[in-house]
Amino acid sequence: MRTRVFVAVVAAAALGVVAATASASGQSHQANKLTVWLQVDAQSGWPDAVAAANAQFAKDHPGYTVDVQYQNWGDHLQKFDATLAGGTTPDVIEMGNTEMTKYMAAGAFSDLTSLKSTFDNSGNWLKGLAASGAFGGHLYGVPYYAGSRVVTYRTDVFAKAGIKKLPTSLGQFTSDVAKLAAKNKSVKGFSPVYFAGTDWYFAMAFVYDYGGSIARTQGGKWYGNLDSPQSVAGLTAWKNFFNAASKASKTSDENHPAPYDVYSQGGAGAIIGPGWFSCCVGTKYKATTAQFVMPSHTPGQAMPGFLGGSDLAVPQGGNTALGADWIKDFTSTAGEKILQSKGNIPNATSLLGTSVNERAAARSWFVPAAKHWVDVENGNILRNMLATILQGKLTVKQAAANASSNIALVLNGA
Amino acid sequence: MSGRTRRLVWNGVGLLLFVVLVFPVYWMISTAFKPEDQVNSLTPTWLSLRPTISHFRDAMHAPFFWNDLVNTVIIVGVTVVIAMTLAFLASVAVAKYRFTGRKLFIVLIIGIQMIPGAGLIIPLYVVLARYHQVNVLSGVIIVYITAVLPFSIWTLRGFILGIPKDLEEAAMVDGSTRLGAFVRILLPLVAPGLVATSVFAFITTWNEYIFARILLNDQSKQTLTVWLSYFLGTSRHTDWGALMAGSTLTAIPAVVFFLLVQRKIAFGLTAGAVRG
Amino acid sequence: MRSPLPDGMSLAAEASGPRRRRHLTWGRVARGSVPYGLILPVLLIVGAILAYPLYSLVRLAFQRYGLSELIAHKGISVGTKNFSSILHDQVFWHVLLRTVVFTIANVGLTMVLGTLVALLLVRLSTWVRVVLTSGLILVWSVPVVVAVQVWYWMTNYQNGVLNFTLTKLGLGDFFHHDWYGTTFSQLGIVTAMIVWGALPFVVVTVYAALSQVPRELVEAAEIDGAGSVRVFRDVTVPILTPVLLILTSLSIIWDFGVFTQPYLLIGQAHTGPSNELMGTYLFEEGYLKTDFGRGAAISLVMLVVVAILSVFYVRKMVRMGDAA
Repeated sequence: MRTRVFVAVVAAAALGVVAATASASGQSHQANKLTVWLQVDAQSGWPDAVAAANAQFAKDHPGYTVDVQYQNWGDHLQKFDATLAGGTTPDVIEMGNTEMTKYMAAGAFSDLTSLKSTFDNSGNWLKGLAASGAFGGHLYGVPYYAGSRVVTYRTDVFAKAGIKKLPTSLGQFTSDVAKLAAKNKSVKGFSPVYFAGTDWYFAMAFVYDYGGSIARTQGGKWYGNLDSPQSVAGLTAWKNFFNAASKASKTSDENHPAPYDVYSQGGAGAIIGPGWFSCCVGTKYKATTAQFVMPSHTPGQAMPGFLGGSDLAVPQGGNTALGADWIKDFTSTAGEKILQSKGNIPNATSLLGTSVNERAAARSWFVPAAKHWVDVENGNILRNMLATILQGKLTVKQAAANASSNIALVLNGA
Repeated sequence: MSGRTRRLVWNGVGLLLFVVLVFPVYWMISTAFKPEDQVNSLTPTWLSLRPTISHFRDAMHAPFFWNDLVNTVIIVGVTVVIAMTLAFLASVAVAKYRFTGRKLFIVLIIGIQMIPGAGLIIPLYVVLARYHQVNVLSGVIIVYITAVLPFSIWTLRGFILGIPKDLEEAAMVDGSTRLGAFVRILLPLVAPGLVATSVFAFITTWNEYIFARILLNDQSKQTLTVWLSYFLGTSRHTDWGALMAGSTLTAIPAVVFFLLVQRKIAFGLTAGAVRG
Repeated sequence: MRSPLPDGMSLAAEASGPRRRRHLTWGRVARGSVPYGLILPVLLIVGAILAYPLYSLVRLAFQRYGLSELIAHKGISVGTKNFSSILHDQVFWHVLLRTVVFTIANVGLTMVLGTLVALLLVRLSTWVRVVLTSGLILVWSVPVVVAVQVWYWMTNYQNGVLNFTLTKLGLGDFFHHDWYGTTFSQLGIVTAMIVWGALPFVVVTVYAALSQVPRELVEAAEIDGAGSVRVFRDVTVPILTPVLLILTSLSIIWDFGVFTQPYLLIGQAHTGPSNELMGTYLFEEGYLKTDFGRGAAISLVMLVVVAILSVFYVRKMVRMGDAA
């Protein structure tokens, strides 16, 4: 008897667990809740802007609460895919500008074209950023903010090396690099200008500076363009600059290690990266750190920098009207001013200031607007090409030709 | 070699092994106490002479630390208790009973382990969303139970089979019902196995990241490993000191749990065990 | 109701003894249903959670299921195209071979080292044993996500403590040595980290099994004049065998499908055909390229391969139960 009772109890308990879990309430779309996915940068960087948008939204929609759920860059797309499959998408999502095209093409977002005029400054949006949120003539992503890449350098080290004027051309910068290297010979592993071997954002800046590009489209078909003479010239200039200026590992990427960590330990005279790098140069060098715009090989010009940034979109299944309304509150002129004060580039030309970061954005390049672009990025095609060039496994021409045909394959959806 | 010198040599080997194995953990903890300038220095600082607890303060004041700690304790506690109970019963069935479908059950259980977890992420999410189990603790609990059950059943079955038959027979008490006897006699004998298995279940669930990340969205409902990932998830500056302090804090409960159970049930740590 | 089982009957004898024909009584039915009752809760939970995902995994494998299909909740049937595209992919075969070698190396190292350390534990003075076991538990309790960061940091190119220490020890100039420069070196670091992380579990489990070895048996054998080698072979090994078999087959399964360590340690920016393992290959092909049909097909292929790899151990284990 005891046995049977025991078994019955256990079985009942197990059934109870299943039943309880099956009936418990879950997420889905609750009547008076707006779910927003922002990247964690907003939580640590500009929570006041988020709070202001939420307050404005609550005022306009009494009884509604906004649930902001912060995400990581590393896995937010996989999480988003899961919610698309499960029908539990958020009402608003932040997307990196290079991530947009694939999702727009697949129909993941609501069309916001008819609401465009309701967003502040929508007539003056940064061209590059606005382009990343548009597909087939429709608006899906509202520009959120942008960031450009600049040179962060140590004024004391530059001065000691006898550099009196900041370089205004790549040639001048290269000869300054030689001076920096000579002056700091005693520091083991010192990089006059530290940048990672496979930092493709910086390498491609050379390609675009020399008139090349990653890919071009013709008659609806994509062609790799890294093997064009201009692109090869850019890659060659980049390779020479790396060999002269950076002691980074030839296979490293721009996050491992963080360039500012090398800098803050005295391992570099300058680093290449987003304008906010100045945050983390270490207390020792805070006072002697400044920034300038990377010069072009054409004297007097800036080298085009990669314009990184984010867009805000309303996923399919989200509440379009309310989602768009929250985006409107968040990207209002006042909201963008807060972002600007935290070292970001605001989303409209009419709001642009004169910081180095914002000046650098004046000449920028962006990835090809192809549906499959993100697969090129995730497939590390460019990084592999760069590492191969630096390691001397292939000549610039050969490596570029290989990468070019791979890129064409991926972009054409093969 | 006399017994004493031999013991001395073994002890030396044991201590050397300890140093090598623990070094990464030591590095994590010592970094958590280093002031900012020593955290990333080009020449490593082995032990800071200017230790600071500021990283721990930062970590504990990071949003949702306490919230997520409580969530993790609930998730792990419920998972371990339910999973251990169910696994023990099932392992008794497969180790000590002959019944039709027994082999099928055993193969099914190990087969579950062979399905690549990554392949299941989206289908599992869809199922749980259907049961409204997304963004609630019970959803994660039931996934974790499913995840640790196969292993637990297998290990416990091994421990039950490992019990020498004559011991079992000698311990048989007249007039017991079979299941009652099993429980009364087997339980103490497989106690070390239960401890090892529950430590495994505890640590596996305590450290799980991927499913917790996918299934829980509200920061107030997440677990500690997910909370930790927020130190790394930004495109900006990673606060290594706070990350290491947070990691240390995350690891402490697992160590405490282990110390507790090994005391409760004579695990053999101090029992002298056997000369093999 | 009292059990009609004759008093004092051995459990094992009952379990595997000759089956005598008896009357079907309520007591017998109840007893016959006991094992089913014992496994029922497990079946219910596993069924509730895994039945549908498994079904949908198999269905996906025969469909084109990309991002658009995911959004529409509807795949397009393509027959066995996903499988043929994988099997015709050069990269797949390289990755598979690499993963098999990787698995053998990892499982071999884990099991041999783990067993040796467990045997070492019983030979230690109590205080050293406590110290070493606590160390193992410390290692075990570090979440993989965290351990990866620590390991990456210790092995990093700029100021990794590993390069510093090796240089200081006079083993050569490791300043700016790039541990992530070649595939072999990348996977070597991943292996070191996996074995390091798996050791505590193996050691604790094997040691727990060792402590199950009854003292009386050992003493009896010693009185019979058996040497320590024979005691180990005749008394210890038979008791360890089930646990070792289980650990080996589980290690094969885990190491074959390992994802977190290689993906995070090598980094997404460096993961590619030259260093992928099946786990990372599945993630890159299925999730990053949002080709879920292909991902499901890879999952099923992995299932088959790991079943083949572990069939020897699994059969042995199942048989072992029968012989008991």
